[in-house]
Amino acid sequence: MQHPFRTPLVVATLVVALLVGSAFARTVTIATSAQPETLDPHVTSATSSFQTMKSIYDTLVEPDQSGVIVPGLAHSWTVSEDGLMLAFVLREGVLFHDGSEFDSADVAATITRLQAEGSPKANEFAMIVDVATPDALTVELTLDAPAPALLASFASGWGAIVPSELIEADHDFGNRPVGTGPYVFAEWVRDSFVRLTANPDYHAGEPEVEEVVIRYVADTSVQFQGLQTGEFDIAVDVAAVDWPTIESDPRFVLEQGPSGLVLVSALNTRRPYLEDPRVRRALNLAVDTDTVMEVAYGGGFPVGTFMEAGSPWLPDTIEPYGYDPERARELLAEAGVPDDWTLDMALPQPYDTHITAGQVIQDMLGDVGVTVEIRVVEWGVWLGEIYANDRDFDMTVIGHTGKLDASGRLGGYGERDRTYHGYENAEVAAMVQEAAVISDPGERAELYAAVLTALHDEPPFIYIGTPFTTFARAADVDGFWITPLLDTFDLRSLRVD
Amino acid sequence: MLRFLLSQALSVVITMVVVLSLVFVAMRALPGDAAAILGGLDTTEAQVDALRRQLGLDQSVAVQFGVYWSGVVRGDLGRSIRERRPVAEVLRDRLPVTLALASFAFVLALAIGLGLGLLAGRHPGSPLDNATLGFTTIGLALPEFWFGFLLILIFAVQFGAFPVIGYPVAGDVGVRLWHLVLPAVTLAIPRAAQMARLARARLLEELGADYTRTARSKGLPARRVTRHVAANAFPGLLPLLALELGGLLTGTIVVEQVFGLPGLGLTLLGAIGARDYPVVQGVTILAVTIYIGVNWLADLLQIAADPRLRYE
Repeated sequence: MQHPFRTPLVVATLVVALLVGSAFARTVTIATSAQPETLDPHVTSATSSFQTMKSIYDTLVEPDQSGVIVPGLAHSWTVSEDGLMLAFVLREGVLFHDGSEFDSADVAATITRLQAEGSPKANEFAMIVDVATPDALTVELTLDAPAPALLASFASGWGAIVPSELIEADHDFGNRPVGTGPYVFAEWVRDSFVRLTANPDYHAGEPEVEEVVIRYVADTSVQFQGLQTGEFDIAVDVAAVDWPTIESDPRFVLEQGPSGLVLVSALNTRRPYLEDPRVRRALNLAVDTDTVMEVAYGGGFPVGTFMEAGSPWLPDTIEPYGYDPERARELLAEAGVPDDWTLDMALPQPYDTHITAGQVIQDMLGDVGVTVEIRVVEWGVWLGEIYANDRDFDMTVIGHTGKLDASGRLGGYGERDRTYHGYENAEVAAMVQEAAVISDPGERAELYAAVLTALHDEPPFIYIGTPFTTFARAADVDGFWITPLLDTFDLRSLRVD
Repeated sequence: MLRFLLSQALSVVITMVVVLSLVFVAMRALPGDAAAILGGLDTTEAQVDALRRQLGLDQSVAVQFGVYWSGVVRGDLGRSIRERRPVAEVLRDRLPVTLALASFAFVLALAIGLGLGLLAGRHPGSPLDNATLGFTTIGLALPEFWFGFLLILIFAVQFGAFPVIGYPVAGDVGVRLWHLVLPAVTLAIPRAAQMARLARARLLEELGADYTRTARSKGLPARRVTRHVAANAFPGLLPLLALELGGLLTGTIVVEQVFGLPGLGLTLLGAIGARDYPVVQGVTILAVTIYIGVNWLADLLQIAADPRLRYE
């Protein structure tokens, strides 16, 4: 005869085993809209690529959650008095995913790779004239000019260190990445997903979640639907209209933090009337940016110059323009802008938020007598015709991502041909160039403050603001971080409760 | 027969050359360039130029055209700009997903379309016939993406019976089929509607024909009559089925996008967005080959099924 308790006991044991098992073996799925172009950190500068790469590779130094640069693969660094020497002491016993040991030779080979032709970031490392590796854990860089932004470049995604042996073997990092990061690359089905598994040898300890799948879902409403059905644990891009639903549902948490983005409506300063700073100031005054932020981007902070709100580089003397259509009309009249002035606004598809913002701005400029004709162009066209080459446009709307150092955002400013809006100011150009090669932090801050003040007074943009970084997560999945300024995904403290 | 096959083969080659040349020129005529897209927002013009040189895109279109064709003749489809690997490898990875989706959808369309069409044709004017007419009108009028989103809302979000998006390329057959149900139904609906209409029309035509009346009046059993009718109605349906199979290929582009299936359609869209010319051209070659191949097969089948065609 069967023991009366046996069946329930077996069932209970199974249930417990399943629950325990699922808690440990659970895969966390993250949905995000932009997919990587490549998984090779030295051939791209696209944030979408680094969002995924962040977990596969490590950098010598990295920004912490407040944006301060802290040790990564290097546990310390020193800069010489004259700023011409930068030395790193490397962490010991770190292994690459292919089992080889990380040492100074890998750093040297990576720097050479970063400086090579075809590396989009070559100019950020061009001042390094010699890389010495006196021993396996020491790297000494000799520079031909002080490079205050170099540490920030090493902390950025493209500072990822790859193994020297594989560089020599011309390994295809783009499709089969090998790094030292917390997660090991497992599989990439392009246009669909990347699968990562926890690195048991990670130098800061094995991550808690064993498997992470990053799914590329262009449509934000599909991300939201997937979150609701439980297919996604984290949805990185949920539309502002869905935020109230998420906040009112106990199964989900809406996380909001500051972002490094500056949202702008760029003005082509090569064009008639737009070349006049008074007109550009007038356009800033004519737009109620609070409304634009609210309607298009779900709210955020106003900015008065080309630097994200809350940045340490921002001098506190700069205020946002504010909304004053009366004053805008006066300025436009003063500048002699004709009644039938019509602007060509090119908006990038498929960025719906920018398109919405453009429509709101069109409406507001209409109120001060400026006609705006909207033209929606596909992203490839935007990059090729608006941002580069012909630059055939009067205005556009775009977001500029954060940079760890001000030089990243302001490089080339003041020189007409180096920026898409064509803002020209020899003094600004000289200050930007000087700030890139001096090491005194106080002097640099002063120079950038002057540059940012000029960019406020003669704005090449209508400054819209800095939005929040917003993502939605399942209530039981916590510890997902978006790296400040770099906007990459940090999965190291990810956990399932 | 041999002459028929040879002339067909020749027309395949000519079609391929014309289509591929058109796609080559059209892609280059599109504004925007691959190097600028690959470089992204922070690259300088000098870096974009370097990328362009690296990818061979600094050469004139005529030279690129020559280089491309000399590769194609040798069976080399080139390298993907975006994925930095051979185009043939990209196609090999993606084709199975599209083939699975298209065949699943075709079987569904065939079953629903022919089934409804034949039933409706047997009982013209019946409620079933009217319902079929309603279904086909809606099925033909509404776009695929609309059906797709509707099915996702009802069956994935509301009932949670199927996944919202994605396809486990390396998963079990059962799991993969489960992910394909909603996409295949979406893709099958307009095709089923088209097939139902034609099947119904063909059947009515044959049922009203003189030989059917003769067969009936001489007291042939219903089963035998059906056989005669089927033998005459079937070959006429074949070219349509072939066309529908070709239409499935274009349909997969939309459906793969809606359901996030990593097949050829999604690859094509991604490649167009990135101006990944070699991949767009590679997908074109593959699509044209499949399209022509299917039509060719349909011709042969029709000849096999209809003796009258053999002597022409």
